[in-house]
Amino acid sequence: MSSVLDDVVDPEALAPKRLGALFWICVGWLALNVLGAIFANVLPLVNPLYQNYNAINAGPSLHHWLGTDDLGRDILSRIVYGSRVSITVGIGAMVIGFGIGLPLGMLAAFRRGRLDSLLTAFMYVFLAFPAIIAVIAVLSFWTPRSLFKIIVVIGLASVPLVYRVIRTATLAVAARDFVTAAKVQGATDRRILVKELLPNIAPIAVSFLLIGVATVVTLEGVLAFLGLSVNPPTPSWGNMINESRTVMAQNPWLVLFPSLALCLFLLCLNFIGDRLRTYFDVTEVKL
Amino acid sequence: MSTQLLVVDDLHTTFRTAAGLVAAVGGVSFDLATNETVGIVGESGSGKTVLARTIMGLQPRSNVEVRGSVLLDGHQVVGASEREMRERWATDVSMVFQDPMTSLNPVMRIGRQIDETLRVRLGMDKRAARARAIELLAMVGMPSAEHRYRAYPTQLSGGMRQRVVIATALACSPKLLIADEPTTGLDVTIQAQILNLLDDLKEQLHMSVILITHDLGVVATRTSRIIVMYAGRIVEMGATRDVFFRHRMPYTRALLESSPKVSNPSHTRLRVIPGRPPNLSTLTSGCAFAPRCSSASERCHQERPSLEPAEEPGHVFACWHPLAATELHEAPR
Repeated sequence: MSSVLDDVVDPEALAPKRLGALFWICVGWLALNVLGAIFANVLPLVNPLYQNYNAINAGPSLHHWLGTDDLGRDILSRIVYGSRVSITVGIGAMVIGFGIGLPLGMLAAFRRGRLDSLLTAFMYVFLAFPAIIAVIAVLSFWTPRSLFKIIVVIGLASVPLVYRVIRTATLAVAARDFVTAAKVQGATDRRILVKELLPNIAPIAVSFLLIGVATVVTLEGVLAFLGLSVNPPTPSWGNMINESRTVMAQNPWLVLFPSLALCLFLLCLNFIGDRLRTYFDVTEVKL
Repeated sequence: MSTQLLVVDDLHTTFRTAAGLVAAVGGVSFDLATNETVGIVGESGSGKTVLARTIMGLQPRSNVEVRGSVLLDGHQVVGASEREMRERWATDVSMVFQDPMTSLNPVMRIGRQIDETLRVRLGMDKRAARARAIELLAMVGMPSAEHRYRAYPTQLSGGMRQRVVIATALACSPKLLIADEPTTGLDVTIQAQILNLLDDLKEQLHMSVILITHDLGVVATRTSRIIVMYAGRIVEMGATRDVFFRHRMPYTRALLESSPKVSNPSHTRLRVIPGRPPNLSTLTSGCAFAPRCSSASERCHQERPSLEPAEEPGHVFACWHPLAATELHEAPR
């Protein structure tokens, strides 16, 4: 081992790369949100629909940590239950977006030719059209609204975006010699796609996935604000903000807390995505 | 036929581009015997790499036209589908790429990259493939191969990576190995090591090698024959000795003169070939080298010379005004 040290760059000798404390704080916050959404039923929370007539538009107190809204409902409870909608839509839509956009983008970049031209032209037509308008239009006609329909519509709307990012990332990798090398070693196309290309675009895909979730959560907020998301009284961060608009002057807490929840959630997602991208950005220069 | 592993006959590779047709390979014919090493030299853009890829059957199907014939071990490569070629790659013909930095998958352990081909092509099981991969790594001179089996490419130096690339290319004992500038990305001392390694392995495994380079020093001692290419055509071909000492084509001399020699006094200015390699989409009917050639005449600009035999057996050249045959040219080193 020692005799060959001159030939080998010891990985430990490289400056250790760290993700940083802020990264882990963000991960922790997201984990807290997700766990809260999953276990909302078993947490010691008031029913989010229960109206306490003795505490209407109350500020934060020991009994209602984040206060109550104009109908006397507990805000903390509604934020935790509301995160279910936001997180489900965020993850569900991205599963659809990546489920369709990732294989298509990889295939187009790998095969090139007519398939690539057709798919790319098709996707770019959709990209040129403002997604929010399309989503609003479809959701207005596809009634009655349900969480499932919202997820499907937003998921499909995100396909062109995912496709474009994945296609570009794959193009850069597919042009490199190791792909040709794998090919002349007898690897089939499927093998090249799964074993050679996918691991190499994974860092970009993961960071884009996180930022995509953040975008979708925002979009759900926008839809809810326009009254196009889940029907009241089911809480979601977006419709909580929307409902609090009318009583903002009397009870500013009501708009502050759900906005803060949404804001922190998005901030963490973006930060993690960004941090991961730089972390995995291995360049030969660093050797 | 029986002794010739590779017969290339009037091979044309033409790209359809926005700027018109580009004849990257324009009528190349040569053959290669079993266990022979042939060097292909020429400037950048002379069609060496396209020729190599065409012989491999690696051209994209769209926007490229391949005509002529490439018989590899009796099988036609031109027009073969990728599925057909997949049966031949790795076992019949394999390739070492230019840059070891990009020809290894950065996120796969090097051992697995060798394993893959053994398992896919030879149907070995996991354990046998692993043992064979370690054997191959040891064969290409990888120190503590067993340990290194689990290394990632970034943990190895350039020379070590190129050894891994060679091990991968040789995994299925190909009959023909095409090494496309295998030492370009490496420093000079490592270059010699890698070339000697290729030479040893050739003898050990009884394979034929096509060594592509722009560096005549690389091919001087390791090839039996040299093919000089210019603008997609062969301009001179012959035994290594003849090409070095009895070349007839002015381009070959220009190439030889532009390599540095140890015998030169310090601070000797390196001779360069004036002008640039021609644009392949605007080739005229004349000799492609004529615009840069000092002995070019009117005829050179009008008519393209064909390959004519020289006195020595197997030595051919394409020139209207060949250098004198009796002249024993200066040794390159």
